[in-house]
Amino acid sequence: MSIQQPPDNGAGHFESPAVTSDSVTANSKDGAQVKKQPPPEKASDVRRRSHIILSFWLIILLLGLPIWWKTTTIYRADLPLQEMLDWSDGKACRPVFPLRISIQANSLQEQEAQNLLRLTQHALDDLNDFSGHHLRLQLAPPSATEHHNRESVLTIRLVPGDATTAKFDPHEPILDITYPSNAIPSPTSSSSPLATYVAGQLRSTFAEEQATISYLLSTNSIPSDHRPQGLSSDISDSLSKRTSRSLKYAPTYHLTFSLFTSGPLPSSWDIDGAIGEYMKPVLDVLSPIHNFTIDTQVQLYATPGVQNQVLNKEDLSSFINAAEWPLSPSIGGAPTVNFIVFVGDQTIAAPAQSSEEDGAPEPSSHSWMMPQWGTVYLLPLPNDTSHLSVEALKQPLLTFTSHLLSLTGTPQSGSLPLRLSTLSRIRSADLLLRASSTLGSLARLSLALPSISIPSRVADGVSKTMHHLRLACETLGGPEGLAHARIAEAEAERAFFEKSMVGQLYFPDEHKIAVYLPLLGPVAVPLVMGLLNELKAWVKRRKEAAAVGRGKKME
Amino acid sequence: MDGAKVTPGRTACLYIGAAVLRLVIFTLLPGLPDLLTGRVEISTPVTSFKRLQEGLFLYNHNVSPYDGGVYHQAPLLLPLFSLLPSITRLPIFTYLLYIAVDLLSASALWRIADSGEAGSSALFTSPRREKRWSGLVIAAVFLFNPFTVATCLGRSTSVFTTCAILHAVAKAVSGAPFGAMVAISFASYLSMYPLLLLPPLVLLSYDRQHSGRAIKSAPKFAAICASTVAGVLAALFQLSYLVTGSWEFLPSTYGVQLTLSDLTPNVGLWWYFFIEMFDSFRSFFLAVFWLHLSSYVGGLTVRIRRQPLVALTLILGIFAIFKPYPSISDAALFQAMVPLYRHVFPLMRYTFVSTAVIMYATCLGPAFYYLWIYAGSGNANFFYAITLVWNLGQSLLVCDLLFAVLRDEWEVERPEMVGKEIRQI
Repeated sequence: MSIQQPPDNGAGHFESPAVTSDSVTANSKDGAQVKKQPPPEKASDVRRRSHIILSFWLIILLLGLPIWWKTTTIYRADLPLQEMLDWSDGKACRPVFPLRISIQANSLQEQEAQNLLRLTQHALDDLNDFSGHHLRLQLAPPSATEHHNRESVLTIRLVPGDATTAKFDPHEPILDITYPSNAIPSPTSSSSPLATYVAGQLRSTFAEEQATISYLLSTNSIPSDHRPQGLSSDISDSLSKRTSRSLKYAPTYHLTFSLFTSGPLPSSWDIDGAIGEYMKPVLDVLSPIHNFTIDTQVQLYATPGVQNQVLNKEDLSSFINAAEWPLSPSIGGAPTVNFIVFVGDQTIAAPAQSSEEDGAPEPSSHSWMMPQWGTVYLLPLPNDTSHLSVEALKQPLLTFTSHLLSLTGTPQSGSLPLRLSTLSRIRSADLLLRASSTLGSLARLSLALPSISIPSRVADGVSKTMHHLRLACETLGGPEGLAHARIAEAEAERAFFEKSMVGQLYFPDEHKIAVYLPLLGPVAVPLVMGLLNELKAWVKRRKEAAAVGRGKKME
Repeated sequence: MDGAKVTPGRTACLYIGAAVLRLVIFTLLPGLPDLLTGRVEISTPVTSFKRLQEGLFLYNHNVSPYDGGVYHQAPLLLPLFSLLPSITRLPIFTYLLYIAVDLLSASALWRIADSGEAGSSALFTSPRREKRWSGLVIAAVFLFNPFTVATCLGRSTSVFTTCAILHAVAKAVSGAPFGAMVAISFASYLSMYPLLLLPPLVLLSYDRQHSGRAIKSAPKFAAICASTVAGVLAALFQLSYLVTGSWEFLPSTYGVQLTLSDLTPNVGLWWYFFIEMFDSFRSFFLAVFWLHLSSYVGGLTVRIRRQPLVALTLILGIFAIFKPYPSISDAALFQAMVPLYRHVFPLMRYTFVSTAVIMYATCLGPAFYYLWIYAGSGNANFFYAITLVWNLGQSLLVCDLLFAVLRDEWEVERPEMVGKEIRQI
């Protein structure tokens, strides 16, 4: 298989096979004279070698290169980067919460009511300094009776009475205001104590919501001209404390109710009935915002982490015996909220200093709340109780319910219906901002890493997110707004955490050398060298053929 | 000639001896076939008898045999095996089928040997051709090769492919191009990779045509052969479609070979590489490995144009090394073809080394696999290292045979160099 270099004098013999046979005999004589000179290659051998090299290179060029191109190009779907960045910078959407408040004044003349409305609106506009959160008054038609209008978030019922008082209806978002008959403003007056009073009431009712939303906007990257001014530092401190106490938003929360007893009794509890009785109503009203799944457990002879008879404030944080109590951190991906009823004879010491800052977990005599985790309720019981009835669970469950509301981030002031509608608005704003900032992160990521792949699923998710964000922005404040914001947030998260994107991290070019070279390098060396040799020999033959041609012409 | 005179009695003795040996092992050591069936060296995901039984069970219960992703073999094996009585009640019929297939392969090999194609082809006649083994010896070497026996006992379905390939070659050398093309189509249908044998096989059939009804034009002959293969394959695919009721078998059989989706260890080089491969480069390197395997076909066919049977043998050897799911049955097929070149054995330089390396790997391979999987005192690298050695031995054999054949050709051109040291440059 020796590959022999054709000696120079043999070049002329490649013209025709007929001459070649002569050359063999001629060269065998030469071979006898000059030992080291191999005979020239036959033309057929040279042609065969070119064919072999050609067969390898044809496979490389016709199959290898297209396959290489096809399998290693990174698919990058087109993302509307500028639009995504606009969303995250807050340029695409001005979060505006137009809140309609209807005034029901059945005992007033149409004219008087209109006048009062105008004055109150003036007073409100004077007080308000945040354009995003806007209270708009309207007069409810006198025919509309008890039931409050679905369109408006709050109905004010003006009823004549002895003095100026305000009282929230506990079941409906209705504010009852009584006024003395002389408080009706005259049509010409430009101010009225009643109007100022109503405006002040409204202002204080929505102050917390306004502060929370301004806080949310200020912590996100909303351009400063849009940002509300004058958020005092102590308010923002208390808000940040509250945000850190409440659980991170999740579409589903898992509630775990645990009964731990220090002795053998009680060994059963009617938790199902108790939840249905005391907690279900609140879960139902929370259901547009969160889903809840529930499980319960009982453990006897449970030892708390602190054995003291009287628990101090410092003991509370270590009361949970995390090592032995079966409290799983989260079930099925949803964050878990733990509610623990501990039956034992321990008590909580009265707080030494009652000047607790607002928003900190305030231990009552029986229970305390653990930020982002849940609630513990100490239940003292006679020793022979073997079964906890629904009645016995009433107080713990009511405590749990109120703690659940603050764990989900419900504001603290106002009547319950009002608090819940406020919660849904706060959550919409929160979700909207989070989805927007996720979009922004995705856009920045794809700009920063030019070689990351972007599957079409991500592009789909982004366009879906933006569609729902737009809808959410238009209907902000209403229930559809929340639904759209939820979808947008879920889609944005899915697009950002797309598996194939996370899997294929940035792959620098020097790594590619390490991938390609170990296998393809050794394969390429003989192929490239063979090709080069063949080309060199071909050029040489051409030159010699030309020289021979010239020589013949000269003759 | 070794002087072994072939008589009908000797032929019968050989076949009966081989059949009895297998039957005795089957009956006296009833646990051994199942043990061998489970060995990764014998059963690959595309040839395993266990997986065939799974597919057969599903097929007999009117479920698509490819549901569950275990069965990756050709659909037409199912009706064949469901004709046989159940393996659990009457295993003897399955044994007899496998023994018969082995004997058929041996008879094809015998015909190839007797044709003398290895020593003198249409375009080249070796001066050493007189020194050769008879068909009897070559068939005996095949039948009593431990690798062949183990494959038969392990009931790997690769024996059908082996049989089809050997018959294709036998038909080609006996001047029956049509039969050769049908046989190679069956082999390709069963395992896909034998399709790569088509170029040298077409050349072999072209060279060995009967002078009476020969087709003189080579392109025309190649076109007829290619269309025959395409037609037979199309008919087989259509039949498979009728049997299974869907085209699902295409991705489940050939797709698995192309994409290597089952990474069960075997004696080949692919599985370890693709366990370690970055996911984003997986498809690229799959293509590289397949191109590497197929790129030899063109080069070898052109280089050894004068002896197409050598090209076939060498390509079979390369398959045994670089196939996606090789097993020892591929090595057995290559080692069955090597003795045809008894006349160039004196020109081979590394016979001792390659034999020793192959035997070394044969002994240590199962031991290292045991250390990795059962004892837990080794890891995957142990087994992969020994498969590297195994393939090194086989590549030595392939290279050595190639060298010897080329040297044989070269000495015809340069008679004055016979017996002299040469240097490869």
